Amino acid sequence: MDPGSALMIGVTRAISASIRRSVVAVALAGTMVGGCATNDTGAADVWDPLETPNRFIFSINRAVDIIALRPLAVMYRDLLPDRAQTGVRNLLDNLGEPVTAINEIFQGEPNRAATTMARFLVNSTIGVAGLFDVATSFGLERTKEDFGKTIGLWAGVEPENGGFYLMLPAYGPSNARDATGLMMDYLVDPFRILTYNLAVDWDVWQIGRYGANAVDYRSRTIFALDDLEKNSVDYYAALRSAYTQNRADQIRQKREKTDTRSELERRDNLALVR
Amino acid sequence: MPLLASRRLAFSLAAAAAVSLAAVHGIGPAVAADPAQLVQTTAQQVIDIVKTKTGADRQAAILAVLQANFDMPAMGRSALGTHWNQATESERARFLKAVATAEAKAYSERFGQYGGQTLTIGKVIPRANGVSVVDSRLNQTSGQPIKLEWEIRNDRIADVKIEGVSMVMTRRSDFNSYIQNNGGKVEPLVRELESRAAR
Repeated sequence: MDPGSALMIGVTRAISASIRRSVVAVALAGTMVGGCATNDTGAADVWDPLETPNRFIFSINRAVDIIALRPLAVMYRDLLPDRAQTGVRNLLDNLGEPVTAINEIFQGEPNRAATTMARFLVNSTIGVAGLFDVATSFGLERTKEDFGKTIGLWAGVEPENGGFYLMLPAYGPSNARDATGLMMDYLVDPFRILTYNLAVDWDVWQIGRYGANAVDYRSRTIFALDDLEKNSVDYYAALRSAYTQNRADQIRQKREKTDTRSELERRDNLALVR
Repeated sequence: MPLLASRRLAFSLAAAAAVSLAAVHGIGPAVAADPAQLVQTTAQQVIDIVKTKTGADRQAAILAVLQANFDMPAMGRSALGTHWNQATESERARFLKAVATAEAKAYSERFGQYGGQTLTIGKVIPRANGVSVVDSRLNQTSGQPIKLEWEIRNDRIADVKIEGVSMVMTRRSDFNSYIQNNGGKVEPLVRELESRAAR
């Protein structure tokens, strides 16, 4: 046997061994996910295999929050007139409407998606580029959907089970489901695609929008997060539980709503048959 | 036609029930068999306390409401989860006391001043295991109303969910993680809670 073929055999063996190992790893991961689904005792124990790196990211996020984001949010909340804040909120919400409409289509609610698009058209024109939410006064109620909820709606697991917990840099608490959703929302967002194709400095627009969103969102969570931090002995664990429960509640509401509607439709159909 | 008739019947039955309940609770004490009434009374008591009292007075008054209307021992036990069984009798007692103080403190600091919030009670959903869930909305002066769900067991409040986030569940996760990161014993947690209560 010459050295070349020995090397080849060695490499093939190594590859096949690594494939075998990864198959084992996938199978193991599968049982872990499965175990998570069957022993699901709710949000008391969120599946968090990445706890150590997550806690590390969390500590960086908190440092950034204490130094920059929270002070900005406090100033935004306390110094900017309420009407200006409402205007900013409306503007940002309006930019988010197309993504909501896309998600409502994926959630099997085309009528709701049409309402959202009607809102978008009304507010973008009569509402001066979304500064004023005139659509609500026309009776077009606002909804907010994201792809994490869409996945949660169709996934056949308890909504508390969103895969492994994940602390995203800058963004904050998430999990496999919601992080995937976030990426999908980013990819399908018409405004991102539009600014990318039209404007030269699209990233400036995007950063401005995401930055404004972050400050606005943070300003509305100051009270709740301060409270949670002050009254917990392990803030990371408390936030992990609260996030998971809150998302699960949103998804459960979606499921129940869909169930009620399909139940009513079923009864209507029965009535027609009779 | 029969559907319409039965609907009317149900309505009149409900009306009769409401009238009789009102008659009973008009004169009855705060602790009642009606979950919605219990929630309403508790909310009103807390609002009255926040309006009239401050500082240590407020905290003591809220602690009294917590102990009268909430099932604090059961909430504490379930917040400690599996660690309850390995805790000693004195640890349990100290834990329950520290948790009650911590909650009273949290509630009295949560509302600096009364901001004109009102509680609208929604429907009451009975569950199979003797628990009923009272749906409600906390209306703020500005912004969206907050969804509050109250779990009532044995005429006492056993849990409150704020926007789907259960108080007991969150505490359980919080305490459990603290215990695991501090040698798996209940003692460090009790000591931490006691030192916080003393602050």
